[in-house]
Amino acid sequence: MTADQWRRVRELFEGAIDRTPEEAAGWVDREAAGDSAVRAEVLSLLEHHSRAGSFLDAPVTARVPDLLDEGDDEARLTPGGVVGSYTIVREIGRGGMGRVYLATDNRLARTVALKALAPHLTRDASQRERLRREARAAAALSHPGICTVYALDEIGDDLYIASEFVDGHTLREEIASGQRPSSDTIVDTARQLASALASAHARGVAHRDLKPENVMRTADGRLKILDFGLARIDSSAVGVDDHTHSPARALVTLPGVLLGTPAYMAPEQLNGQPADARTDVFAFGVLMYEFACGVHPFDAGTELARLARVLDSEARPLDVRCPHAPPAFAAVIDRCLRKAPAERFATAAEIVTALDRHAQDSPRRNLAWWRTHQLTVMALYIVAATVGWSIKETLDTRSTMWLFVVLGIGGAVAGIVRGHLLFTEQMNRTRLASERRRTRRSLLTVDLAIAAALFVDGLVLAQRTPLWAVMTMAVALGIALAAVLMEPATSEAAFGTSD
Amino acid sequence: MDRDTNRRPPRAQDVAPRVYDELRRIARAYMRRERPGHSLQATALVHEAYLRLAGGPGTPWHDERHFVGIAARSMRQILVERARARGAQKRWAGLDRVSLTASLVHAASEDAMLPALDEALERLEQIDAEQAKIVELRYFAGLGIEEAADALGMSPATLKRRWSLARAWLFRELSEQRG
Repeated sequence: MTADQWRRVRELFEGAIDRTPEEAAGWVDREAAGDSAVRAEVLSLLEHHSRAGSFLDAPVTARVPDLLDEGDDEARLTPGGVVGSYTIVREIGRGGMGRVYLATDNRLARTVALKALAPHLTRDASQRERLRREARAAAALSHPGICTVYALDEIGDDLYIASEFVDGHTLREEIASGQRPSSDTIVDTARQLASALASAHARGVAHRDLKPENVMRTADGRLKILDFGLARIDSSAVGVDDHTHSPARALVTLPGVLLGTPAYMAPEQLNGQPADARTDVFAFGVLMYEFACGVHPFDAGTELARLARVLDSEARPLDVRCPHAPPAFAAVIDRCLRKAPAERFATAAEIVTALDRHAQDSPRRNLAWWRTHQLTVMALYIVAATVGWSIKETLDTRSTMWLFVVLGIGGAVAGIVRGHLLFTEQMNRTRLASERRRTRRSLLTVDLAIAAALFVDGLVLAQRTPLWAVMTMAVALGIALAAVLMEPATSEAAFGTSD
Repeated sequence: MDRDTNRRPPRAQDVAPRVYDELRRIARAYMRRERPGHSLQATALVHEAYLRLAGGPGTPWHDERHFVGIAARSMRQILVERARARGAQKRWAGLDRVSLTASLVHAASEDAMLPALDEALERLEQIDAEQAKIVELRYFAGLGIEEAADALGMSPATLKRRWSLARAWLFRELSEQRG
């Protein structure tokens, strides 16, 4: 049939369907009188049109609503069932790659997490080979922060990955709990996670699908990254050239895998470029940002808007959104979230280094000096008041009495103010700077008054017991020097400014 | 910002917001026709279509209509691939002629039909590309008559008639496949 004939068929068909069937047949006969092929085609199509019933009536997704579900076409294993040398205990999860069971490995009588890979992942021979290779790479990783892969078992037609069973909860659950972690927890979590990633990066293995669902915390607080290096398995079901081996392509080549979220994918991954360690660095940044603030750095109304923001917009700086996070940590995360891979840390090892470096010159360590200073001075107030009391007891004169009053009241007031600063530092760090500014002058005045009173006490004592007098004056000088010299020094070390 | 622009492939970056809006529109279009509870599937499909568009080898699109067409095509690919992965061909081949026609007429086991439909669509495309396009928009992307007409720049009445033709043609193709 020529293009002209087809056009004619279309015309006649369209003209005929508005008529009654009887009318239509006669009309087509007349119109297509000169061309029997056109006539036969139109009549055939009209006939099929009348018989087509609900054919293509509704969109396929309405008819087969579970088409994109990652199928129930995989067999489910029931508790007590035996697969190879494993006895199933119960199902513990379901992911893009298949179901995960708690099982016992009867050979070694140990508990394992057994992942039954979905059939659509293992049907193809080259795909199976790929899985073997990836599982080998994953099994070579040995780090306390990485869930160990024990074995890849081919049982019948199915593929199973047995790995360490990690009992705990995921970081997703921690984020969802709504409780924001302390800055110590944030830094500790970041460090544990980065070290585990670093050990894999050192072996040339990138995770490629790092997200809060894939990181578990055990009861004793240790982190474990799951599914290391296996994310890549998803790709290339429709085996094509190598640039498609990124999760972005994986997600599209295998619809069933989409159950996960691409919210942790780096811009280059979304653009279908290869994923490497720097892609993990980006995902690490997103994950830790979310962990610290409870909000995704590219948060938007819908998932798609979020993807667009990953590609196009800068993340809101961490220190703006979450002031309680240590500034040095915020700087590390901001660098992880750069759009251009070259501007990020090259591997997770660099993140560890950066976190450590910041930990060294971070306020945290130097705050210890400031805290010690506060506590020492508070102790000195007690010493001063005690000394004042015993001098008053020894030489009960009007002046020693008044000096003791100064020492007692001054020590109590200044002690309470310093206690307040320590409390603010622990509980409400953001207010600390202003509280320190507010109290600095009065503290200095009170300290000097206490030192003066104690010094005078020492002078009074001088005729009676010179040794005790000297010691009293020494404490007085100590308090004065602490206020004038040491306080500015420890403050500067802790906060970068002496005021 | 400029720095980033230079490093990223311009395509996805230029179009990302537009991609998103378009896909949202398509998603809305077909969530309307879906039963509640299935919106997840709609979201998943749109999501995948986006990734395919943003991550695939560059098919630059010229305008909104062109874009909708491309999105619909990737939805077709996604759904057909999924049906294939589920072993649709085997199930389809297992149907005898009577039950095959019956399942076409009653729109039963549609997922099994998808690969065969996909091949038939390829043949239809040879004869009349517009016909195949209409099927992609209506059946795979789930657009309504008006929306599909809009995407193809024709009147809804015309689209409706052409859609009938495509349906009839494909129905014949599939039901007589083993005739």
